[in-house]
Amino acid sequence: MSKSLPQLKIVNRLNVLRAEQRITQEKLAKEVGVTRATIIAIEGGGYNPSLELAFRIARYFKTDINSIFSIAEGK
Amino acid sequence: MKRFDLILLKIFLYGLPVVIVLAVFGYCYSQGIVDRANGIVSLMNSVTGLLFAAWMAITLYLSFRLTISESLRDQVIAKITFMRERDEREAILTGKATKTTFLITLAILILLFSLSCIQVSIYRVPQDQAVDGKTGMISLGLGFNLFEQEKQDQASKEMQRENIFLYKGLPVSSEAILLMLIVLQIISYNYSMRRLMK
Repeated sequence: MSKSLPQLKIVNRLNVLRAEQRITQEKLAKEVGVTRATIIAIEGGGYNPSLELAFRIARYFKTDINSIFSIAEGK
Repeated sequence: MKRFDLILLKIFLYGLPVVIVLAVFGYCYSQGIVDRANGIVSLMNSVTGLLFAAWMAITLYLSFRLTISESLRDQVIAKITFMRERDEREAILTGKATKTTFLITLAILILLFSLSCIQVSIYRVPQDQAVDGKTGMISLGLGFNLFEQEKQDQASKEMQRENIFLYKGLPVSSEAILLMLIVLQIISYNYSMRRLMK
């Protein structure tokens, strides 16, 4: 991995969207085809989902990827 | 073939406790704990031998099949190592844990290879063979044999030297090393996986 490039920190609003729509982690995990541990890891920032999973999550919430995942620069 | 392998696998697993019981019976028979003159006991001993031979044949066949069948490997070895790839995150973590395990195993194999090649001996030679009046010697060497053979210490015999310390490679049997590597791989993988899961 290149050391010269600054590392991008990807943040997400998954827990906010989930709370708004009153969806449990378990239900979301089932709907997008992953384990609950993966949803916990995404929400906690410990894991960045693949593009495919990000699209699946966005489709589930009927929104686009940018409104869920964004880059927190300089952090 | 796949179905046949799975049937044999079940026979192997469920047969394991039976084999242990048969081994105990065989021991009792050989030690004369049970009445050998009894016809039924004698017949049971013969059947025990046959069953054990069949189980051994299945074990050998399955060991061979595991090396060539990817699907069987995925089913069996993945279960033995508690490997779980239920989604993309677990697949990535499995990859990372496998890399760690591979590198640790390779490092240990290199260490074991070095230790098995090195030969060190500290010895004392008779006064007439002394070098500059010194009889204490240190001999260092490297040895590599393609096939297992008794390591010769011809020099000791020729020089009539008295060995104080002699190291001719690892004093551990190849079976013990292989078992240790199998256990190490399972432990290393599971430890890495647990650490990554946190």
